[in-house]
Amino acid sequence: MSARRRAAKVSTQTLVVALVILLVVLNGLPFVWGVLTSLKSEQDLFRFPPAFFDFAPTLDNYHRVAATGFFGNMLTSFIYCVVAVITVVVVGLPAAYAFDRYSFPLRRPLFLLIIASIPLSIGAAALLIPTYIYFVRLGLTNTPYVLPLIYAAHQLPMTIWILKGAVESIPHELDEAAIVDGISRVGLLWRIVLPLSRPALAAASILAFVGTWNEFVAGSVMVDSPQLKPIQPLVYGFIGFFGREWGPLTASATLAMLPILFIFILFGRQFVAGLTKGAVKG
Amino acid sequence: MKSNTAAFTSVAPAFVLTGFVLFSPVVYAIWFSLHDIRYGAVGPFDGGANYLRLFQDYTLPGTMLRTVIHTGASVVITVAIALAISVGIDRMKPRAAMIAKMIVILPWITSAVVATLLFRWVFINDIGVASYAVGTLVGGEFTPMTNSTGAMGLLIFVSVWKRLGYAVIVLLAGLKSIPNECIEAAHVDGATPWQVFRLVTLPLLKTPMLLVVVVLMLANINTVETPLVLTGGGPNDATRILALEVYERAFAIFDLGSATALALVMFAANIFMVLAYVRLTGWKA
Repeated sequence: MSARRRAAKVSTQTLVVALVILLVVLNGLPFVWGVLTSLKSEQDLFRFPPAFFDFAPTLDNYHRVAATGFFGNMLTSFIYCVVAVITVVVVGLPAAYAFDRYSFPLRRPLFLLIIASIPLSIGAAALLIPTYIYFVRLGLTNTPYVLPLIYAAHQLPMTIWILKGAVESIPHELDEAAIVDGISRVGLLWRIVLPLSRPALAAASILAFVGTWNEFVAGSVMVDSPQLKPIQPLVYGFIGFFGREWGPLTASATLAMLPILFIFILFGRQFVAGLTKGAVKG
Repeated sequence: MKSNTAAFTSVAPAFVLTGFVLFSPVVYAIWFSLHDIRYGAVGPFDGGANYLRLFQDYTLPGTMLRTVIHTGASVVITVAIALAISVGIDRMKPRAAMIAKMIVILPWITSAVVATLLFRWVFINDIGVASYAVGTLVGGEFTPMTNSTGAMGLLIFVSVWKRLGYAVIVLLAGLKSIPNECIEAAHVDGATPWQVFRLVTLPLLKTPMLLVVVVLMLANINTVETPLVLTGGGPNDATRILALEVYERAFAIFDLGSATALALVMFAANIFMVLAYVRLTGWKA
């Protein structure tokens, strides 16, 4: 290796290390600092220079957030997520199987429509107003099922995409043998396809759960009743409600990201795998 | 014949759901936008009056320009940084690579509201740690929110920060699919690392890169949360981008007629990216 090339290698390595440190600070600091702030009393909050660890932690901010009924809304959001995830799996698995194994008229255009729906749901802001006025007209707004319905529709295309990839890798002999043995269509999906596509199912479910939990725009306009509100619009609402009181604000933000961090720590590997599957293919 | 029935009953629920929530509202919205809308109620047909009112709004060109600047800058910067990071992670050992990936995607898996809120608290607030650090290290004050260039710069920064993880994950998967032999052959032929990257890696990454560009464009054009939480569109509309304009037109000013018209214009722009996306994923029947 020439001296020049060695020098270049050392400088790239330094650059990579510097970039990693910068990323850790930029990505980690807001979360660490947010959690620390949520545990501070008002005096500690306004101390200058800011205190990192030498303060007396208190749960006061969490009590103030809890007093607004925040935990009830966390439960609401959780129910929305569970309903959406169950719906996308129940609707998505038969569709994914049919798109891979059956040949039927319009199969390709129909599947392209599913693929096109993935980016359509990313651009949900443009769809928000049409969906809103349409659902107002149908009298669906401010009902308990409007948000799970919207969330399931947003997450379904990606689920079908990921599950179809899983079905592709199941050997045809397996389901053909089961069909010869006279298994029903539901039995085939439940006893053969479902167990064999478990990793993809986990990845798709996690993705759908996180997408639903984090959704803001539909949640902020489709429902009005306080008990129907998911938590993202509530956290946003706290900016106006608590003003510059960063204690309760960061407490609500911490609570809002807790389930996601929990999933992330427990299923980090499946999480990244799911993102890769969903991301590369679509 | 029997198999067709089975196939159609299997896929029908999926199309009922997406058709009802994603497609039929657009059709209704087109009809809706051609009528006189008073307080959310549909009045008589009035042709393109909503569109006319929209395009006569003198603030609209500015909003469009800001949207282009925000999306363009965010996408270019995100892709450039993501390329560097993913090449770096690609060379790491599996364990280190996993940890690096997790750190990189942290802002992306957090909701836009929470991520932007925490970002604002740490980096922008006058009693936050960042302004303290800048004050002690460099001296002077760190107040990007008080001028329009600073606010737009910050909005772009947060947009890049938030979505970098997505780009890294996709590009990493693309890098993994490049056969090692290609890289090795280039090395053997005496190419410098930079030449290998520019002449071998980059061309082979074309599809995942275009996919990232399309998805990032969609995500950035349609982001409401980030400007809403970070700046609220200010100062003096400096960060008022299209998605925020549509949202506020409908739910702050309650002009549903022109908001629907503008949302449909935005939807039409999205369609181009959707078509590009479908093409890039290159599904073979």
